[in-house]
Amino acid sequence: MVSIRFHGRGGQGAKTASRIAGTAAFLEGFTAQDSPLYGAERRGAPVSASTRIDRKPIRERGVIARPDLVMIADASLIPDPSARVLEGVDERTVVFVNSPLAADQARAQFSIPGRVTTLDLTGIALEHFGKRGAISALLGAVAGRLAGLRQGSIREAIARELTDLGLAPPVIERNQTVAARCFEAVQPVELDVGARQAMAVAQLRAPTYEPPTKGTAGITAGPNSAIRSMSGWRTFRPVLNPELCNGCWLCFANCPEGAITIKPDGKPAIYYPHCKGCLDCVEVCPTDAMTVERETEAANNT
Amino acid sequence: MTWEPHIFKELHQIPREEHVFPGTPLCAGCGGLESLRLASKVLGSRVVYINAAGCFTNLASFPFTPLDASWLYTTMGSAPAGAQGVRDALDVLIAKGRLPKDEDVKVVVLAGDGSTYDMALSSTSGAITRKLDFYYFCYDNEAYGNTGVQLSPSTPYGARTTTSPCSVQHPAGSTQEKKDIFEIWRAHRPPYMATVSPRFPLDLEEKFARAADYPGPKLFLAFAACPTGWLFDPAYTPDVARLAVECGIWPLKEAINGEVTHTYVPKRRPVEEYLKLQGRFRHLFEPARQEEAIKHIQDRVDSYWEKVKA
Repeated sequence: MVSIRFHGRGGQGAKTASRIAGTAAFLEGFTAQDSPLYGAERRGAPVSASTRIDRKPIRERGVIARPDLVMIADASLIPDPSARVLEGVDERTVVFVNSPLAADQARAQFSIPGRVTTLDLTGIALEHFGKRGAISALLGAVAGRLAGLRQGSIREAIARELTDLGLAPPVIERNQTVAARCFEAVQPVELDVGARQAMAVAQLRAPTYEPPTKGTAGITAGPNSAIRSMSGWRTFRPVLNPELCNGCWLCFANCPEGAITIKPDGKPAIYYPHCKGCLDCVEVCPTDAMTVERETEAANNT
Repeated sequence: MTWEPHIFKELHQIPREEHVFPGTPLCAGCGGLESLRLASKVLGSRVVYINAAGCFTNLASFPFTPLDASWLYTTMGSAPAGAQGVRDALDVLIAKGRLPKDEDVKVVVLAGDGSTYDMALSSTSGAITRKLDFYYFCYDNEAYGNTGVQLSPSTPYGARTTTSPCSVQHPAGSTQEKKDIFEIWRAHRPPYMATVSPRFPLDLEEKFARAADYPGPKLFLAFAACPTGWLFDPAYTPDVARLAVECGIWPLKEAINGEVTHTYVPKRRPVEEYLKLQGRFRHLFEPARQEEAIKHIQDRVDSYWEKVKA
């Protein structure tokens, strides 16, 4: 059995990619299973999905604890402990990272124990579609290639899944073409699907209870969400050119996050750790003082 | 008679102080969060938010909160009942002299459209009838958003949701009309009601400031453009919010003791401009144009504004 676990951010298409891989396998006569991890389906939040492919009926259910292949749509998720991207990954696991970095570099930078292969899917999508959007077809095609599926079945699976989502035929066709390019471009790494050493993944820990007087102090504290960094959510960042800014405050009024503050001189300033990269400020700016820059991994921490 | 703002006349009057802080896990480009952030600038920090389950559940996910005010979480159907309890407790404390009257706090219900239009309707009706002194802030994204965008009574005709897909029987998607919750509220004659849009920040701030003069139930229906559920790039949240008003789909109005005033009368661009921006209406244009459905939506808007003029 081939077990593939997908990780991405809501809106990137990790769930659909897992369906594309599952459907393509099904079309080739395999038994297949694909399911996203249930959670609030919020754009930008960590999302995970599992695909299992086998010749025999699949009895296993649930989230894949020991994947043969991990597909990472967004490298900024790797250091996020809540996303649990590298859980169950050992030196035999193949890990695909959507990143412009070379495989060795990505492996070193993110301390990935498995065998790594990379491709800059976001870059390819931007080049061909001209705007940010889901990379489900691309990610699904790469997963299919790494799992040893045929290009024809992936093409058909993309058509089926994207039609289900209500996309128009020309859009689907473009997705198929770009996905085929990714299928060709990715450096395949042979999967090692042999039996895995059983590993205790689930541990039951009895919680220690504190008396309410001691335990609830944190709840009554002030607005503490501001200590969290939202930088990992961004694909693009808005950049303010102060010389073009006319100080109208429209960006300040329209920032849903409150990431734009007004300086004492009346001009706005963006605080990047609070910016989710929605780019509403760019859209409302009447003087084009706001421009857009592609987020690079190195810049993701600020 | 044209409506004039008394307090908020230019953007530089928007308070710089924040009361809804960054760091929430809500979607990037959330129109509901934007409306709440602007509203909180007028409401201040002496507030108890009574939050019905919905997208805003994610506002305060333990151990983090973006609010410098108090927050109480309820089921989808019982936020106004929760507000009643909190208001009563505050009144008792004031009566007993344990809380000085000038340190009173505002009680604000936060609820999505699923709660407002659907599950909490009886609880709300009861609270208005009892003349409960509270603000009701509804972030209306026209679907059950937090669970993955299912049809709600607020979903308009022609929109595609996961439970109203476009099918052979229903090529236009949702066949229901959006429930007119404003009129349901207005039938109760509450002292203050308004619709607001985050792309019209001064109108929004002005209405929240005015509402402070009216003790009793106060409704705010906030247009919550939803990039996730309506399938558009988050950068277009301001455009979608602006076009909803400019096309006449989301009328900006207030009602004082049931007397309606439109606070902005748009020139009314064709609804198509608004529909075309969003993936949830894409099936009306591709692969074949559904002329009848588009005309139906335009006609509903036209007949609304004809009644306004009359």
